[in-house]
Amino acid sequence: MNWLNNIAGGIRALFHRESTESEMDEELRGFLDASVDAKTRAGMSPAAAARAARIEIGSANAVKHHIRSATWESAAENLWRDIRLSVRVLRASPAFTLVAVLSLALGIGANTAIFSLMDVVMLRMLPVQDPARLVLFGDGRAAGSTGSLPNESWRLYSNPFYRQFSRTNEVFSGVAAVDSIEFSTHGSVSGEGREMMHASLVSGNYFSLLGVRPALGRVLGDADDQAPGTGAVAVASYSWWQRRGSDPSLVGKTVHIESTDYTIVGIAAPGFFGTTVGQLPDFFIPLSMEKQISPGWNGLDDKWFQSLYLVARLKPGVTVAQATANTNLLFKQYIRSEYLGTSPSPKDLADVAHAQIELTPASRGVPRLRRQFSLPLTILITIASLVLLIACANLANLLLARGAARQREFAVRMAIGAMRSRVVRQLMTESLVIALAGALLGVAAAWKASHLLLIMASSSPEVAAMDVSPDLRVLGFALLLTILTALLFGVVPALRSTRLDLTGSLKQSRGIAGKSTRISLASGLIVAQIALSLVLLAGASLFLRSLVKLTQVDTGFNRQNVLVFSLDEYAAGLPLDDRLVNLQQQIEQRVEQVPGVAAASFAMFTFNQGEWSDDLTVQGIPRTTENSKDVLYNVVGNGFFSAMSIPLVAGRGFDSHDRIDSPRVAVINETMARLFFPDSSPIGHRFGLGDDPSHSGDIEIVGVARNAKYVALQEKPEAAAYFPYQQRVQYFGNFEVRYAGEAAQIVPAVRRAIAEVNPNVPIGSISSLAEQVDESTASQRLIARLSAFFGLLAAFLVCIGIYGLLSYAVARRTSEIGVRMALGAGRSAVRWLILREIMVLAAVGISLGVPVALAGNRMAANLLYGLSPADPASLLAAVAMVAAIAALAGYLPARRASLVEPTVALRCE
Amino acid sequence: MTRKPGEMVQGTLEMLILKTLALEPMHGYGVAQRIEQVSQGVFRVNPGSLLPALARMERAEHVKSEWRATENNRRAKYYLLTARGRKALKGETETWDRQTAAIARILEA
Repeated sequence: MNWLNNIAGGIRALFHRESTESEMDEELRGFLDASVDAKTRAGMSPAAAARAARIEIGSANAVKHHIRSATWESAAENLWRDIRLSVRVLRASPAFTLVAVLSLALGIGANTAIFSLMDVVMLRMLPVQDPARLVLFGDGRAAGSTGSLPNESWRLYSNPFYRQFSRTNEVFSGVAAVDSIEFSTHGSVSGEGREMMHASLVSGNYFSLLGVRPALGRVLGDADDQAPGTGAVAVASYSWWQRRGSDPSLVGKTVHIESTDYTIVGIAAPGFFGTTVGQLPDFFIPLSMEKQISPGWNGLDDKWFQSLYLVARLKPGVTVAQATANTNLLFKQYIRSEYLGTSPSPKDLADVAHAQIELTPASRGVPRLRRQFSLPLTILITIASLVLLIACANLANLLLARGAARQREFAVRMAIGAMRSRVVRQLMTESLVIALAGALLGVAAAWKASHLLLIMASSSPEVAAMDVSPDLRVLGFALLLTILTALLFGVVPALRSTRLDLTGSLKQSRGIAGKSTRISLASGLIVAQIALSLVLLAGASLFLRSLVKLTQVDTGFNRQNVLVFSLDEYAAGLPLDDRLVNLQQQIEQRVEQVPGVAAASFAMFTFNQGEWSDDLTVQGIPRTTENSKDVLYNVVGNGFFSAMSIPLVAGRGFDSHDRIDSPRVAVINETMARLFFPDSSPIGHRFGLGDDPSHSGDIEIVGVARNAKYVALQEKPEAAAYFPYQQRVQYFGNFEVRYAGEAAQIVPAVRRAIAEVNPNVPIGSISSLAEQVDESTASQRLIARLSAFFGLLAAFLVCIGIYGLLSYAVARRTSEIGVRMALGAGRSAVRWLILREIMVLAAVGISLGVPVALAGNRMAANLLYGLSPADPASLLAAVAMVAAIAALAGYLPARRASLVEPTVALRCE
Repeated sequence: MTRKPGEMVQGTLEMLILKTLALEPMHGYGVAQRIEQVSQGVFRVNPGSLLPALARMERAEHVKSEWRATENNRRAKYYLLTARGRKALKGETETWDRQTAAIARILEA
């Protein structure tokens, strides 16, 4: 209880400071009196006794200070006093405080915002039991489905392999499967209106393997995931449940998705969004319902339908190396027995020899977003920390200048008995108060900014819905950053400005000082700032130039005046045959009659929506390594080429002659034409998908289209082929409409037209082709914008720094300038005297910054388009900007110096 | 800082104060006087170290204080040993005896 008493006593003393103080005075006085009495009794004269006693005791204030510092509350009290004094001092110079707090707020805020994104995307552990023991099969770099023979490091797995593997392996306590894509569907709860819903298909043991408990009801179990088509149950995500008002009665209700009723059996634990970072499923549904969720996705019994991610938990004591060995052994056995016949071809054997499974840690989930964002985020946090460094250097400089101006104050305080450590502590408190104020503002801004960043980085609604508001970890990061910053910019100025020769500082108000160390330290800081800002500006101009080049890329299609509707034709309840084709064609024809609509077409892909690719064999042309690479495919409507404005350079497009039962046709692009038919016309030739020569006569080439970008603006021209959807019946989702006039008038007319054809086809989101193109460069745009912003911010801070340093130098050298002018120096010579100083610093800073910028830009090489990281034009632009900034910031002080009146300057002395 | 004669080993001051107060309650100056007299002038305790030590001990509840009249009819703060203080004195004396004995053995060896 001792410490309790101690605390209680301390608090009592804090509240009764007055009486504690007077008691101390009285006790000291008593001590003195007693001492004097004793000395008088010993025979001293009263006057001598009083004098001797006073010498013995020493300074009453010092004694009281010692008594006070014997207790803890004095430290708290000192801190409180320091803080109040700091606030007072800072309030007295509002301009300084404003610049300091704002520049730190921007620096700390930017870092916090970007860190909170990094936290969500790259660092956060899955909210599951013991995530460190989870492994993912493959690196998660693919999503969708593949029908290829496993012939490399494998990423997607079939359901038959999954079932057999989880039975036979000896190294995992369990293996769970989750579909690699999240399904966007439409559904309704208990007969209410239809809404967009995201569903994740998972194996029955998914929840138990991860150790995720239900918040309400139950989670899925093995019994739910049995024969295909059974197990119409769903577990809702906690955030979906919250959006529905956290109504407990939702458990037990049914949700109607497409044409199936699912019973909601439970709500998953809060914060659990499955294992793929960036996906935010509303419902987890057993894998056995695959076909019911997405009719084209029908491969539960098909070993060639490889679309699953497998996540497994290592058995206790089993190492990843052991698990990898066992897994690959079983994988190879499976491939040999299931995929290869009794007499496999040498090529297949050679392919299979490369097949392997790499086990990657899954503690942070399947790294889908991580891949997309880790490089941009790393670059952004580097940029933001450079800005913070510049802000620190700038503040250190300002504090040095302030310290120089306050030397008399410090000298007085130390002369009347303050220890140097006490004054340093006071100065550090001032720095900390500035840093904390900056951090408070910065974190408040980051709260909003991190979400804004997310939206800027990706306009996909599911990513934008991610929760990136700062959590405790992020706040801890911000606090750490703040303290580090305060130390970084505060310590050296505090030590420097309290290191003084007392009598000297007190005597002279302002004199002719030699080139003091303060100036050289400050110059060093300016050089560092110039070098760092050069690095930032070089990066920014590189990113901007790259973005400009990217936006000037010829896409091959006309992105203007095309609306892309997301339709759900599956909801009309038609089977995959000519009835569906009829519906799709009716919708196209009806919409094309809308005034202002030039063309309308369904398509598998428009741009940047994923890819379908496979190799092909052309009849009569032997396969080589060059011509057996994958070709990109698309399935489109008759009006596709006119809707996208992709010109046909030979042959014809698709039309009403191409029916479900007519000979199969394709349009290929120029690159594919050049690849296979460099000297002749491809029209009339035939090819087949895959490498089987017996199928090479399947499809006839009827036309050649101009090259168009498929997935990304950066991609090189790749071979591509288009098929008419009449001959590859499927549900699409993409419906694009080329129009003239106002989009705002077209949208409702198109809606009406579709509803007239079939009122059961819901229309989801509506975007434009131009938006899709923009979205594909979202991270480049984000980086270009932010790096430009931070570059300008850095330039501004450097301006302030240079201006401050030179103004101080001019003030210090006023009398010298006066002498020079009295001796005949002209005004321009004086101006040059000052400007020369900053130009030298700028030259040094630039020569230091250039190699750093070149090295740093290499990090960004993967994000650049059409530019080398060492692009001379960008670097030159940055150098010119930095030089201009230095000259600009230096001009005002230089001008002031040139306006010095010699007589006035000399009279000052 | 050079060590002047009469300065004492760190940490022993509180023990000496406890011992002094074990005889009778005293005010600050009395404690200082007594330590100086008994040590025959070897230890001189100035108020700059005595009073902070007393404040620390009071906070630790080894001593408590009250204002009383002195023999000269002045008001002074008298310090009294508490039960806790008595226990602390016993412990510190034992430790001290053990240590000095050990040091003596080392020096004699």
